[in-house]
Amino acid sequence: MGEEGGSVTLLCLTASSGVPLFCRSLGAPSKHQLPFPVIGSLNGVHMFGANLDVLLTAACTTNTHVVWRVFHNSITLIVLSSEEGASDFALGRLLDNAFSAMVLILGLEELVNIRNIERLKKDLRACYKLIDSFLAPLERSGDLTQCVECVPVPHGAALQECLEAFAGAAESRFGCLVAGGRLALATEPWWQLAPQELLLLSWLVGSLPPHAARDYPIYLPHGSPTVPHRLLTCQLLPGLEACLICGPSPALHTVETELVPRFWKPLLEPLQACVSPQPHSLPHGTTLPPGVLAFLLIHREQRSSQSSVQPPGSGGEGLSPRCRARALRHFYALVAARYFPWEGSPAPPQEPFQAGFPHRARHCYVVSATHKAYAIHAPQHQLFLLLAPHVPTFALRPLAARTLQRLTGDTAL
Amino acid sequence: MAVSTGSVIVPDWHKSPEGKEYLATILRKNKRKFFGLIERPVLPPQMAADTASYKIFVSGKSGVGKTAMVAKLAGLEVPSAHHETTGIQTTTVYWPAKLRDSGRALIFRFHFWDCGEAALKKFDHILPACKEKADGILFLFSFTDRSSFDDLPSQISRVTEGSENFVKIVIGSKFDQFMHTDVTERDLAEFRRAWRLPVLRMKSVNGPRLADGRTLDGRAGLAHVAHVLNGLAEHLWYQDQVMAGIVPAPQPGTEETSLC
Ligand SMILES: Nc1nc2c(ncn2[C@@H]2O[C@H](COP(=O)(O)OP(=O)(O)OP(=O)(O)O)[C@@H](O)[C@H]2O)c(=O)[nH]1
Ligand SMILES: [Mg+2]
Repeated sequence: MGEEGGSVTLLCLTASSGVPLFCRSLGAPSKHQLPFPVIGSLNGVHMFGANLDVLLTAACTTNTHVVWRVFHNSITLIVLSSEEGASDFALGRLLDNAFSAMVLILGLEELVNIRNIERLKKDLRACYKLIDSFLAPLERSGDLTQCVECVPVPHGAALQECLEAFAGAAESRFGCLVAGGRLALATEPWWQLAPQELLLLSWLVGSLPPHAARDYPIYLPHGSPTVPHRLLTCQLLPGLEACLICGPSPALHTVETELVPRFWKPLLEPLQACVSPQPHSLPHGTTLPPGVLAFLLIHREQRSSQSSVQPPGSGGEGLSPRCRARALRHFYALVAARYFPWEGSPAPPQEPFQAGFPHRARHCYVVSATHKAYAIHAPQHQLFLLLAPHVPTFALRPLAARTLQRLTGDTAL
Repeated sequence: MAVSTGSVIVPDWHKSPEGKEYLATILRKNKRKFFGLIERPVLPPQMAADTASYKIFVSGKSGVGKTAMVAKLAGLEVPSAHHETTGIQTTTVYWPAKLRDSGRALIFRFHFWDCGEAALKKFDHILPACKEKADGILFLFSFTDRSSFDDLPSQISRVTEGSENFVKIVIGSKFDQFMHTDVTERDLAEFRRAWRLPVLRMKSVNGPRLADGRTLDGRAGLAHVAHVLNGLAEHLWYQDQVMAGIVPAPQPGTEETSLC
């Protein structure tokens, strides 16, 4: 990423004529353009293959990884990454997220039946912020895991009850609280949205410039790609938003001036606790065994995740939070693509590793000079850990099991 | 328009020692303080002041500078490139001001409703939602776009159609670009005479930053927009007084004298 000189560039073109629609790069805005001949060649080589019935999906040079994908025969996305450790798996997810983000904001219709290219280009600008957040996920991982990131909520029961009542009064079944772009609480129907929708919605709310309230038209990429709904957001506190998905009623004015004060004002203190300093780490009072630098916990059934690259006690050991995040992402991508089957994912091209064995991997570890990493696939959870290099390799497994137990109470390994 | 500048609100009060104390409730170490919907500025007991809340709909054609203006007034980063606003976004801005007649300090709470012109045309619930229970409407034109100025009369009648009880204020945006202006002082004077509407001028450009080189200097930012915030306060407060029968309604035909 940026600090190591690696870069990621995403190109979007019309599939039929190869007209560039936009180009986004990680880093300075001046990088947001690639020379036209380069764009032309990248698209040309893919089209050339297509004309010969060859589907070009990915290519590698010594320092750059390129992945192509065409969506609905209408939009071509191409990603180029010179980041160390870039993988087909991670770049494939990036393309998928980017296209779904476009559907979320513009609707499928406008992307599939392109009538006016200039209009489309203009409309696509509304997606830039969200797409850019996929190019620079920093300390996040939901884009990769497709499991919405959650924050632990103190006083959860009282807030949940209030959320249900608030959504009910707004005639909506879909309500949630988003803290710093992560999901704090949600109504049951909200959890029934597609995992990618859960993810996109909280990343969208986290990526928009701050506003007291919004009435934002959205299309659900899986549930309602052509019929818009209204996403209402109300900023209860800076960094904490109550969100609803609604039909034509109620009016934003009613929600903002009547429902918000009525339901949320009495809960000012518990709400403040949701945004106080250490937001996205551990439930209050939980500590992790020494040597754990970062963790990513996936709740398999709910398709949600929890993570931290600076859990309490991991202090200044070795890697910076940014490097830990990157290492954890790479480890996840490696394990998810090769060793752990991941139900319901748009299957990435599997390497034939699995095929040679009658059984499936349940544990997996990697040892490098700067860190060790360990993953557990348990019935209800997946846990990915980054550990200090001084932790003895033979101790990784019990240590990981203990961490899982502390995080979840899950002992069934 | 029956209010002349400075007749209702003390214009430079925010620079006085007393005004500065009130300003301190919306600043933290020279940064603007931001408030969620369930919060408000906290005043020490000896400074107690009422809050006057207004919903203000910001209208104007695409690219005229609605979003930039609201960001500037709120002390947020002004976007450098034009991205059409998706749907409706609202922003609250608190502004302490002093009433000239009673000498009373008030906290004004402006609630701006900004929607993209394209979104407004695409979805029909947006315009009614913005107008619902609005107290005021701002009509924006840009000093660098003559057509946006010429379009004001039709914009005003289009937007206010069917409801007349809004305080109407015209805002000329991109006033910092006066070198390239398409709209002259004469044009403005003529417009004021014909329409009897106040005209304010807005420069929505990011001001100086604090020592870290990133955070906007909130105090400097407020100083840049104080005249606009006072202008809004003045017209909205005055209209309230008229509605409540506390001051007489303006007589038709009174000559407009103010230079805003
Ligand atoms: N120099 C200067 N530029 C401005 C000013 N106001 C707006 N702009 C620029 O004009 C462009 C459009 O401004 P916006 O505020 O996004 O326009 P809008 O009225 O919200 O447009 P829609 O959302 O499409 O309806 C942006 O690039 C702004 O930076 C101003 O006062 N001075
Ligand atoms: Mg706008």
